[in-house]
Amino acid sequence: MESNITETLDCKGLSCPMPMMKLAKAMKGLNSGDVLEMLGTDPGTKSDLPRWCEKGGHSLLEKNELEGGVFRFVIKKK
Amino acid sequence: MAAQNEEPKALNLLFRTFFSKHWPVWVGGITLGILNILLFAIKSPWGASGGINNWGENLFKSFGLFGFEGTTPVNAHFYGLLCLILVIGAFVGALLSKEFALRIPPKGELVKGFLGGGLMALGAAVGMGCTIGSFFSGVPALSGGAIIFTMGLFAGVIVALKYLLWEMENLPGVSTGKSYTFLAVSEKKGKWQIWLGWIVSIVIFLIAWFVAGTNSILAWFIISGLLMGLICQRSRFCIVKAFRDPFMTGESDGSVGVMAGLLVTLVGFTAIKYFGIGLGDVSLRAREMTWVYPHFWFRALIGGFVFGVGMTIAGGCAVGTLWRVGEGQVKLWMSAIGFILISPISRKFIAPPLVDLMPHSMKFKNYLPDYIGYTGAFLLVCLFILLWYVFVKWNERTGKFSAF
Repeated sequence: MESNITETLDCKGLSCPMPMMKLAKAMKGLNSGDVLEMLGTDPGTKSDLPRWCEKGGHSLLEKNELEGGVFRFVIKKK
Repeated sequence: MAAQNEEPKALNLLFRTFFSKHWPVWVGGITLGILNILLFAIKSPWGASGGINNWGENLFKSFGLFGFEGTTPVNAHFYGLLCLILVIGAFVGALLSKEFALRIPPKGELVKGFLGGGLMALGAAVGMGCTIGSFFSGVPALSGGAIIFTMGLFAGVIVALKYLLWEMENLPGVSTGKSYTFLAVSEKKGKWQIWLGWIVSIVIFLIAWFVAGTNSILAWFIISGLLMGLICQRSRFCIVKAFRDPFMTGESDGSVGVMAGLLVTLVGFTAIKYFGIGLGDVSLRAREMTWVYPHFWFRALIGGFVFGVGMTIAGGCAVGTLWRVGEGQVKLWMSAIGFILISPISRKFIAPPLVDLMPHSMKFKNYLPDYIGYTGAFLLVCLFILLWYVFVKWNERTGKFSAF
């Protein structure tokens, strides 16, 4: 699974709107089918990110909590 | 035995309803609207910048600076106390949902937080109010100035968002670098947050109960502040998001949540003003003019614009800053510090000479029902909300105005 990740985006410590802005920009630079891993600590991302993926048609492959309050999302671009 | 087994399950389910997932923003908007109506029925509507300004005045007073000796102490100032308890309410909300952590962003973000807070303070001093007093409460209070303030906010948000997008491309160093997170817990570990959350809320209720003996209105403000902070944190009620997201990712959920709150508040405030509910010893005219400030139209427009720029750079308006302070977002701590330090200075030294330059016709009180009657004013505000709704939904579908 890990080897499939095209790019990792580190948004730890950032608060709204920076994580979503950086995510939208990073996704723009990827090709269809590429997989982005995003790490963040803003609780807002937990509800903003899945909703944004759903609306944009991207698939949210994984969503989990790591140690130290870090949320990890793995998204496949449409 | 069976009954004993069921009881904790039901309570557990109730707890999880409130604290395992974020609430839809519209739930936050409607409940905040109801609390706002009750605040007005009992005394006066919700506001935020005045309360934070009171903290700043008390800070300067304790150092004997700038002549704020006469200021009211925070524990006797309705809005100073409401803001303080709102921070604690958000702290409780974050603890009970195990979302509290000290999140320290890269240095550039801390600077943006401080500057954003300072700009908000300046905007609030010039425009007389913030996104609560001159928007979330001001528009339902049928104030023409509040509608102009809102237009200024929109312009400020769009300009600052353009800056943020530019910064991300050209100065990526501002939002990258070393960051730290402390005291975070995970789903399985860290029950201490939940226990602490209960302890803090019980302490606040005890304080309210104690205060109720001498000042029942102040006690109501304490309870409202606690609930408002908790609601904001759980629903992530954010006025910056409502204005900004349609132009950023095209999302409209935040905007619709705020509109729901505005509509509920509009109905309540119109009734309070029309029927003179909660008059006490003031005149009906004074009740009607509550939260209608002398800022129509230039003061409101300029103030709203500066405030809009500040809140977008900070990532939270006055209330958005307060509840994120309670959640442990250190960028917003910087925003709060900027607001606290700059607000009293702006109000006392910077805003008055600027306002003196404006002709009187640019800073008078505009109460909409005076011109178009209660029905006209009510329908006009409804029309604005409807147009905003149609715009964000159309934009969400077409992406015409979204940056991404």
